[in-house]
Amino acid sequence: MGYITIKDLNFSYNRKQNVLNNINVEINKGDWVAVLGHNGSGKSTLAKALVGLIEPQSGTITIDGLELTEESAYDIRKKIGIVFQNPDNQFVGVTVRDDIAFGMENLQVAREEMIERILFYADKVQMKNFLDKEPSQLSGGQKQRVAIAGILAMKTDIIIFDEATSMLDPSAREELMSYIKSLHDEGLTIIMITHDINEALLADKLLILKEGEVFAQDDSRKLMRHKHLFVESHLELPVALDVANELKDKKYDLIKETLWAYVSMK
Amino acid sequence: MGIRFNEVSYTYNSFSDMEASAIYKISLDIKEKDEFIALVGHTGSGKTTLAKHMNALIFPTSGYMEIFGKKIEHKRNKKIKYNDIRQNVGLVFQFPEYQLFEETVLKDVMFGPMNFHIDKEEAKELAMNAIRLVGLDESYFERNPYNLSGGEKKRVSIAGILAMDPKILVLDEPTSGLDPAGKRVLMELFLNIHETTNKTVVIITHDMDLVYEYFNRVIVMNEGEKIYEGEPEKLFRNSALIEEYLDYPNSIKVLKHLNKTLKLDLDVFKKTADDVLAEIKKAVK
Repeated sequence: MGYITIKDLNFSYNRKQNVLNNINVEINKGDWVAVLGHNGSGKSTLAKALVGLIEPQSGTITIDGLELTEESAYDIRKKIGIVFQNPDNQFVGVTVRDDIAFGMENLQVAREEMIERILFYADKVQMKNFLDKEPSQLSGGQKQRVAIAGILAMKTDIIIFDEATSMLDPSAREELMSYIKSLHDEGLTIIMITHDINEALLADKLLILKEGEVFAQDDSRKLMRHKHLFVESHLELPVALDVANELKDKKYDLIKETLWAYVSMK
Repeated sequence: MGIRFNEVSYTYNSFSDMEASAIYKISLDIKEKDEFIALVGHTGSGKTTLAKHMNALIFPTSGYMEIFGKKIEHKRNKKIKYNDIRQNVGLVFQFPEYQLFEETVLKDVMFGPMNFHIDKEEAKELAMNAIRLVGLDESYFERNPYNLSGGEKKRVSIAGILAMDPKILVLDEPTSGLDPAGKRVLMELFLNIHETTNKTVVIITHDMDLVYEYFNRVIVMNEGEKIYEGEPEKLFRNSALIEEYLDYPNSIKVLKHLNKTLKLDLDVFKKTADDVLAEIKKAVK
């Protein structure tokens, strides 16, 4: 059994058509999983189900041996945090300090401890000098970093990024990605929902959703040898791999190798 | 004549003016018809400020705009009907899908023309045409916008602007947040609208792959100044400018990397994966 186990999960908003259809997934502790899928594939719904924001019609989600139910949701949220797409919709505090404190307040962390953690994690996301700033004084990338600090301060083992970079400009996006990488290096379990293939390349494992079903799941490098999986799920491979997959003759081996190395180093 | 910037600067000195980044002495001509222009640059470079000037949403601090023959200066002119300008130049903001509010798609798209005092029947006609133009069929008319996918919502909001039949269409990062297939479909849609109606389309984007593949004119902004204007092909051959301010399209990046690592002499100016593949096959015998 995985650290996170999703078993026979079904969900529908209107009881007519399933948004998630018979999902079975296992994620190990410390994994970095990218969940890829076209708009409307059920990626974000899956994320919401994982943190107990929506209740599936059938099936189970087990995290660290604890099955997610209405009663266990409070304890599960100590283990799993989520960063959403729109930096403006998740800033709940009046200042950066308040915002980082919000999650800890829900977990009833002692005041002394809270003050300490705010400083520590604000520093970690390079927002220590902004503690008294209001959201209107921050850029989108800074707000996302504050959201991450708030979750880290709750000391969760798992962080879900639900298209957290999609509203950021390229430089803020790159910064956030390198930050996610460092969290993974520290041993956190990362679930990253995205349709940006270049971001997904950084993950160890891929889970491709298509029309509410698991279309493919495996090591990312393995899956990326099969262009058709991406085309059929309305996604695209990066140019380098698109080309590498087409160079079948032996004489291209060196070029192929160089293209794969190019993709991995980003 | 379409839109002309004459040494337009926009700066702010009080908090209430802080709706946009500053721009400095911008001169620029955008023709009324037949243009397909990309507007690029980092966040805060002034792209959106430029776009907001194009339909007189904000006024120049100094210099002046000419928009379809109307002169727009710092001071508001009571003789000018700004609403007419906004009908001529349709501006679609970033993430317009968050601004849908009516109960049905048709009502939402009708809102624009009705706001410009077009009567209900005609507005309905315009709205239906616009919805079809963005590639949604009649089954969408009575649907609730909330239950649409991200890509569909974007189309509905773009239809809302098209229903006003603007002469020029300006879109602020219309493809952000969409999956790769959705991105292409939307770009093809803009190209199709441009080709069938000859309308000038201006698109703000960060995506150099799109700039290289789709556009014939690109304007580059940096820290409020226009630093390049011309063909994308020439832009990407200007390595000093690209390396300092922008980024290469992925196809060029990949080919450059191969040349550098394997000491090859491939022509790097290829637009698509197929072109890249053909160039490699030609060079490696």
